[in-house]
Amino acid sequence: MNKTNAEHGVERPIGVLRDAARRIAPAREPAVLVDGVLAGATDSFFGVESPIGAVYVAAGPDGVRYLAPAASEEEFARRYRERFGRFVSPAAADGAGDLAERIAAALAGERVEVPLDLSRSTPFQRRVLKVVGGIAHGEVRPYVWVASEAGSPGASRAVGNVMANNPVPLLVPCHRVVHNDGRTGSYAFGAGEKVRLLRTEGVSPEEISGSPYVATPTTGIVCHATCRNAKKIQPENRRSFRSVASAVQDGYRPCKVCRPVVAA
Amino acid sequence: MSVRNFPTGSVVRKSVEARSSDRTARTDPLAARLADGDPLAPKVLVERHYAELYRYAFSVLREEQAAEDAVQDTFERAFGALGRYPEGRLRAMKLRPWMYRITLNVARNRLRRSREVPVEELPAADGAVGDEELEGVMDALAALGRLPERQRVAVTLRYLQDLPYAEISGATGWPEGTAKTLVRRAMTRLRKMMVVEDPEGGGPR
Repeated sequence: MNKTNAEHGVERPIGVLRDAARRIAPAREPAVLVDGVLAGATDSFFGVESPIGAVYVAAGPDGVRYLAPAASEEEFARRYRERFGRFVSPAAADGAGDLAERIAAALAGERVEVPLDLSRSTPFQRRVLKVVGGIAHGEVRPYVWVASEAGSPGASRAVGNVMANNPVPLLVPCHRVVHNDGRTGSYAFGAGEKVRLLRTEGVSPEEISGSPYVATPTTGIVCHATCRNAKKIQPENRRSFRSVASAVQDGYRPCKVCRPVVAA
Repeated sequence: MSVRNFPTGSVVRKSVEARSSDRTARTDPLAARLADGDPLAPKVLVERHYAELYRYAFSVLREEQAAEDAVQDTFERAFGALGRYPEGRLRAMKLRPWMYRITLNVARNRLRRSREVPVEELPAADGAVGDEELEGVMDALAALGRLPERQRVAVTLRYLQDLPYAEISGATGWPEGTAKTLVRRAMTRLRKMMVVEDPEGGGPR
């Protein structure tokens, strides 16, 4: 601003305001403020190795919201916005450290707690995902069991839909949920990938298919074939069943650990 | 309050941007980057507008923390809304006036709320006593604060924020002619105030 003009001219207020504009600036470091805004207004994402290859993970302040493979960061960010209505920013190098490590450990099969944010799921979906989250490495459970454990017996088909739309596959191991007759069935990343994943976890899809339940006359108990108790049964005592009902007919009672559903 | 180099904080650069995002201009390329899923685009948007939105919020609220909170709130609302927009709508956004529209609302609402707080609970005006530069700024903002609200908004956007009338119109929803009239009236009042306030101004009164 021209000083003379500013002092005596009619445009003095403009000079004062432009001068003020130059002097008003945030007190804190820009980088700190920008990071603060992004942390509050966007979710963070990062890439991580998984048993199905490289995947991306998006997390909000309360935990992981989404895990998916994608051809590029852009594709992942677009899909995340379509599904969750939010933007992602790359996780700060140090900020995601602990979470990224936990996720990597969990995906490698360790028993590590990973905080999940399932707030965008319905109460039924959350109940189902919680039940599925409890299926141990090396074990599988049928849809009918998941429905029953989630408090909605008979909702096998609805459980299947929840599995198909699982926002956090692998972290909630939907690949461990199989058809009621023991067939492994479909998977978001391909039926073959599901079989391969289960094999790496020590499950034999061939043994379970058609005979998902195992009983032994020594205890008179019938289990899911992959129940940790069932694994202790000596080969000569193994009795395979297609349904719990047929085992019960033969005088067996359901295992109290794996709680096979009689209606099946 | 201190001057730091924000990535796009310079007044000079902004007037260039302002011209290029005139109503005749094409849409904002950053909007397309957001729509395309460019993961760096949100950060670019924050870096590009933080300083100017802070300046506007500070001019209304006149307190550092309140201004920071208002800008934070602005971006959270902005990303929340943009995140839910269909891709086509997002791609066509003129982001700058739209961001201002949110900040105008946030700052006005926060000012109303702060006026409901008893005076003794209001945060003390910040800045060290004797900081003449700061006093000059605070005097200018106090003068703005005595204008009728629409005049204050119009003249602040025009001369403190350096927005062209097309963007003032986009931010406020007023026709450009209305904005110009409000700025003219505000200038008349400000000239009188500044003459009266400044003993060395040597005005006719």
